[in-house]
Parts: sequence; structure tokens; C-alpha cells
Amino acid sequence: MTTAHEWQDLAAPYALGALAPEERRTFEAHLAGCDVCRAAVRSFAEVAGLLAYGAPSAEPPAGLRDRVLAEARRVRPIAVPRRRLSAAWLAAAAALLLALGAGITAWRMSGRVRILQRQLAAADSSKAAEDSTLAMLTGPQVHVVSLAGTGRTPSARVFWNHTRGRFIVLAFDLPPAPAGRAYQLWAIAKGQAPMSMGTFNTDAAGRATVVLPVAREITVLGFVDNCGLTEEPAGGSPQPTETPRLLGAWVHTD
Amino acid sequence: MAAMSNVPVADRLLVGRMAEGEDYALGELYDRYGKTLYALALAIVREPADAEEVVVDAFGQAWRQAAAFDPERGSVGAWLATIARSRALDMVRARGRRARAHERAAHLSEDGIATPIAGLGPDPGRGAERSEARRLVAQALAALPEAQRVAIELAYFEGLSQSEIAERLAEPLGTIKTRMRTGMEKLRGLLSPLLEGAA
Repeated sequence: MTTAHEWQDLAAPYALGALAPEERRTFEAHLAGCDVCRAAVRSFAEVAGLLAYGAPSAEPPAGLRDRVLAEARRVRPIAVPRRRLSAAWLAAAAALLLALGAGITAWRMSGRVRILQRQLAAADSSKAAEDSTLAMLTGPQVHVVSLAGTGRTPSARVFWNHTRGRFIVLAFDLPPAPAGRAYQLWAIAKGQAPMSMGTFNTDAAGRATVVLPVAREITVLGFVDNCGLTEEPAGGSPQPTETPRLLGAWVHTD
Repeated sequence: MAAMSNVPVADRLLVGRMAEGEDYALGELYDRYGKTLYALALAIVREPADAEEVVVDAFGQAWRQAAAFDPERGSVGAWLATIARSRALDMVRARGRRARAHERAAHLSEDGIATPIAGLGPDPGRGAERSEARRLVAQALAALPEAQRVAIELAYFEGLSQSEIAERLAEPLGTIKTRMRTGMEKLRGLLSPLLEGAA
């Protein structure tokens, strides 16, 4: 009964929420099978969304941001985050570090811990065992990425301590960058240009233990997909100037 | 020492982070859209305390339902505005919309609900882009024939259906439908600089 033309007349009022409930249900049933009307609704919905800017300007009270965040902290999002290290995993990590410190092998630990052991095996120097670094590695909310080279060496491991907003970088067998050059780390989120995590250099033995503050733009992401390492002029580049020498995916843990 | 790139994080990535429980992302979205949503809520509910509640509820809903956000269906800004508007209208309805709407009818025919262009001052603080959006939207609304603008504003800010608008303005329903569609098409053309950015 309703002609194609009449259906399209409903797209604008639908996007504005101006259809009576009955009309809305009928139109939604039609939308399910009509690409033309769906496209019309989508474009009108964007226009309707912009009408929010047509409201007279008003300054929200200063405490509103805190209220919004406080309310959110009371509830978790409906999809349970899967990328956090579990408490059990962190406990295992802490236990492993203690075991390493005491010179005890970790043969009997679970498979998951053996993965961690591989990641940390090269970190058994006294440098890595410094109290402050240890605390940052074993604190809550730590992400880790292992960067592998194409050959046997070099390698690097980066820990992201969310609580303290620090990256802890451990590099091994990475020859020092020449004078006037430095290594630069990149946080790579899908669909975004790489974001600099900071620069560092290794010592004559090809090692480095560096703590870098996490930039705000990376902090707000909360998670990035990959981490890359390039050699850049000292002080770093705004964007990488070579393909990464080392590259790794941040570990997604259950 | 470190050269930090300055790439703004896309809205939809922030929504993805929210879905993972990162409240940093919620704070960032608030910084981007809080002021706009508050102004929208206030335009609908008219009471600052109620507008605050709407904003808290709207961001709370966005936080909880972030995983369900579908970028195919529109921008993050439009999604947040839809949530906030719907919450605000719910609140007005709960208070007894009709009584209030009648009070406001006189105002509307004179000034409209949207900001007159002359009333738009410089935007304090952050959000130069959003200030530009406010300017463009106010201009676009002002460029519409009054009858079309009123029909759209009654729908958007008062939550009236087409039939209710026809009744309110004592015009035939067909006339209201035409005005609404024509007006929205014109707005779509006038606002295309903003819409391209959202795609």
C-alpha cells in the first residue's frame, strides 16, 4: 500500500524520532529490507546528530566530568575486557621473578608461566632486578610486548605499566645507534599513524633498561596493537623514517 | 627527549577502548562531547540539575553499551547525541511533557529553540572544532525557511511526532511531512562540510 516514495518520506522524520510508535515499527520492518531507505536514514541521522550543536551554548558545571567518570567506575562495560592480565597471571609473574632472583628454576610452572619465563629469561641481569623496575613489572595492569628481529638477535621487551603510566623497555644484543642517532619506539594502533613512545640508546654491550613516560595520546587508547622499533635521528622523528627493525604484537591475555 | 607525534585518536577507537573498560577513553570522549551534550540536554530539559543528570546517564549508557556501537550506522558524535537526546526527552516526558510544552510554545514561535547567530560568542576553552560546528549549525538553521526550522526543532528538541507537530501548529499532516523532509534535505546540503568529516 505504501509506495516507495512514501517510504522515503519517512526517513527524515524517523531520523528525527518524529514517527508515532506504530509508524516507526512499520518503517523499521521496511528498513530491514530496503537499502535505499537505510542509506537515507543514515544520512539524515548524521544531520540530526549535528542538531545537537544547534542547542544554545551552555557551560557544564566543573564537577560534571568527575560525576560521569565516577558513575562509569561503578559499572563495567557490558563486554568484559579480555586484554587485562588476570590476577592469577600477575601472581604467577611475581612468583617467577622471585624464583629467578633466588636462582630457582621454574620447571614445574604452568605453560602460561613458561611463556612468561621465555619473555623474561633475558631479563635476569641485576639491572632488571632493580627494585623500582621490579615493582613496575609486577604491579597491576601491566601489558607486555616482545619485539623479535628477523635474525637470532637483537630483541627487546616492553612492559606497559598502566597504573604508573610508564613503559619499561628492556633491550638485548641491540648494537648502540651511532652518534647523533637513537632508537625510537612506536605504538601502533590499527587505523592510526604510529605514535612515538620515546627514544633511547643501548650501551656498548647492546643492552638498555629504560623507563619512558606514556604519552597522553597513548594513555587514552589504553591498548595498542603493535610496537615497533626504528633507528632515528637523536631526539626522535615525528613519524618513523624506516621500516621497523623490531616489531611485536602486544600480548592479549585472557 | 622523545618527539611525540600529535595524531588525534579517532572517536571510534576511543569507543573501542571504552568497551574494554578503559575509563581514560570515557574521559577523553567527555572532553570532546561533554559540553555539547550538556547544552543539548539543557535545551530539552531546561533545568541545569536535570541536564547534569541526563549527561551522567547518557555517558553511563554509552560506557555500558560501547561494545554495541556500530560505526557503519553513524559517527560517535551522532550516537552520543542520540543517547543524550533520548534520555533528556524521557526525563521531560516523565515530568509531564504537555504541561511544559505549552508554556514554551509562545517562545518557540518567536525565537526558535536553537541559538540565534548573534548569540554565539567565542567558545571558551577547548574544542575549536566544535565551536565551528556550533556556528555552522546555527547558520544552517537560520538559513531554513522558518516553517521548516520550527517543524525540525519541535521534533528534535521537544520530541514531538509529526502528528503532534501538525496539531500544535494547526497545519495539515502532509504539510508538516513535506516541511520536515525538505528542511532536513536542505540541512544536509548546508552541513555537508561537517558531514564529510564524519564519514
